[in-house]
Amino acid sequence: MSNILQELEAKIEGIQSASTSKTNVGVVREIGDGVAKIEGLSGAMLNEMLEFPGGLYGLALNLEETEVGAIILGDYTKISEGDEVKTTGRLLQVPVGKELLGRVVDSLGQPLDGKGPINAKEFYPVEKIAPGIIKRKSVNQPVQTGIMAIDAMVPVGRGQRELIIGDRATGKTTIALDTILNQAKINQAGEASGDPNFRPMYSIYVAIGQKNANIARVIGTLEEHDALKYTVIVAASASDSATNQYIAPFSGASIGEWFMQNGQDAIIVFDDLSKHANAYRQISLLLKRPSGREAYPGDVFYLHSRLLERSARLAEGYGNGSLTAFPIIETQAGDVSAYIATNVISITDGQIYLEADLFFQGIRPAISVGLSVSRVGSAAQIKAMKQVAGKIKGDLAQYRELAAFAQFGSDLDARTKATLERGQRVVELFKQTQYQPMDVQLQAAILWSMQKGYLDSIPVERIKEFQAKLQEFLSTRKESTLAKILAKKQIDEEVEKELTAALEEFKVIFK
Amino acid sequence: MKISREARRAAREMYRLSLVDGRLDTARVKDISDRLVSEKPRSFLEILKEYTRLVRLELANRHAVIESALALSEDESNRILADLKTRFGNDITAEFRVQPGLLAGIRIKVGSDVWDGSVRNRLNTLSQQL
Ligand SMILES: Nc1ncnc2c1ncn2[C@@H]1O[C@H](COP(=O)(O)OP(=O)(O)OP(=O)(O)O)[C@@H](O)[C@H]1O
Ligand SMILES: [Mg+2]
Repeated sequence: MSNILQELEAKIEGIQSASTSKTNVGVVREIGDGVAKIEGLSGAMLNEMLEFPGGLYGLALNLEETEVGAIILGDYTKISEGDEVKTTGRLLQVPVGKELLGRVVDSLGQPLDGKGPINAKEFYPVEKIAPGIIKRKSVNQPVQTGIMAIDAMVPVGRGQRELIIGDRATGKTTIALDTILNQAKINQAGEASGDPNFRPMYSIYVAIGQKNANIARVIGTLEEHDALKYTVIVAASASDSATNQYIAPFSGASIGEWFMQNGQDAIIVFDDLSKHANAYRQISLLLKRPSGREAYPGDVFYLHSRLLERSARLAEGYGNGSLTAFPIIETQAGDVSAYIATNVISITDGQIYLEADLFFQGIRPAISVGLSVSRVGSAAQIKAMKQVAGKIKGDLAQYRELAAFAQFGSDLDARTKATLERGQRVVELFKQTQYQPMDVQLQAAILWSMQKGYLDSIPVERIKEFQAKLQEFLSTRKESTLAKILAKKQIDEEVEKELTAALEEFKVIFK
Repeated sequence: MKISREARRAAREMYRLSLVDGRLDTARVKDISDRLVSEKPRSFLEILKEYTRLVRLELANRHAVIESALALSEDESNRILADLKTRFGNDITAEFRVQPGLLAGIRIKVGSDVWDGSVRNRLNTLSQQL
């Protein structure tokens, strides 16, 4: 009994001597718009949490000789000039882990959905050093977006960073959302199969500076498709402070990194980085940092590169997971040479470029063939897709050129005509309604029938109908063939035979 | 306080000239500020304010504030002062304040560094840990 008493006393002693430890303080000299200038604080570190009276915290962003510039997390109106500020020795951190799945949180990881507290067991710092080149593994496993035009022409691999870029209301968010829905679909099928080696793909959707109504729509769509349970939503809406909008994507990245470092896979959507850059510009103006091109602070490039550097595919022994990033950028009148757009283009491994013209012509998703690329993703495509889609992008680009040219010339040679006929049909095939992601095995089968000429005799205006019925036929009557494509990941002789028989059968039914 | 870049630079230059062996020299501070006021260069008031701020911060770095819940005895004060001089050098100045809010114990601040051994601080730390 006396032992335990001694132990308790030792504990108190420990706490007491620890609490005499040195801290560093300063005094608020100026406060306004969520930013404080603090005199003193000579010992503050970059990105360190600072403690203000009343339990408020700030983040040290500017370290100058005699003062520190900090952004306030929370209600800055409660802070006044002359208040004492303390260093904490801690960096800003957010809760991470599976406990966050199915939840909507703010940029500090606090719940916004009224579903009770999040009992996370781990926390990660919001700013983290990106995994070095040694720990990275090459990108060779696919992320199936379920959007046929993307999976065929601009395939995305795990650990890749693929930009979604386009004017307002061209379907950027929808592409990201469809990709999340497809992961949920794959997860549900994988869980149902009972395969012990199945690795689910989780999603993180970070909303930055959007209207609350838009965020609610995304959440609603995910709920409708039972996909929210595989998703974490980090929301800093237009009505949140610039500080919170600035931090949100970094918090999301930390939540994503947890999956990556624990042998799991995740994708992360940043919707969008144009608004993020604006929030950062606002903060920098308040901190009186020098500004550069288009009034953005000079280090906005570094801001986005250190964010996107955090997605990777980690080698075994270093986490063995992956984080795939889909940053979104909004352009004005299709201008990709604006400052933020060129920056992010140069940081990412490719882009999906959406064209307003195509969108209004009803070609949706409005993916521009010529301007969309994926620099590393083709290594990740499964062989079946390579077999049927290898040449499609080139053919379609050629078709677009010829189509513009063909309006003027009347007598076309047979080959040009064939290219045009084929191109028109591929454009039709690639039209895809939102929230209807397609399995990769079905994509391969459809593209195979196109490649083998089964669509050539179908009038262009009936292609969609043909496709829909063929998909239904294959899904309900030829399930085993589709399953073989998925299992073998290629179209070998056996599959080819079965597909030929299936298409011959279907041709007779389709009238 | 808005201040132009040139004024800030001038103040910093004046401040540098006020140091002897890295320490603020009272005679130089007086001399330099007198000359500024008599010559009245452009925005000299701004410069003087910024210069004063820098001097004040440096003085704070060489000045200790010792707070205690109850007034310290002469013996205790002298011990603390001697201790500070061995740590920070003989030119350190000190002031003692009574601060009942600390409940018990003392808190020493030199520049922006704080050593807090007060009961108030321990209670705060405890309540954060719980
Ligand atoms: N493939 C599609 N098929 C049909 N409708 C679509 C498709 N993709 C997008 N839409 C519709 O187009 C509209 C704009 O889409 P979305 O919100 O994804 O665009 P955005 O580029 O993210 O817009 P914003 O600039 O507002 O963020 C929505 O009403 C959406 O339902
Ligand atoms: Mg959008």
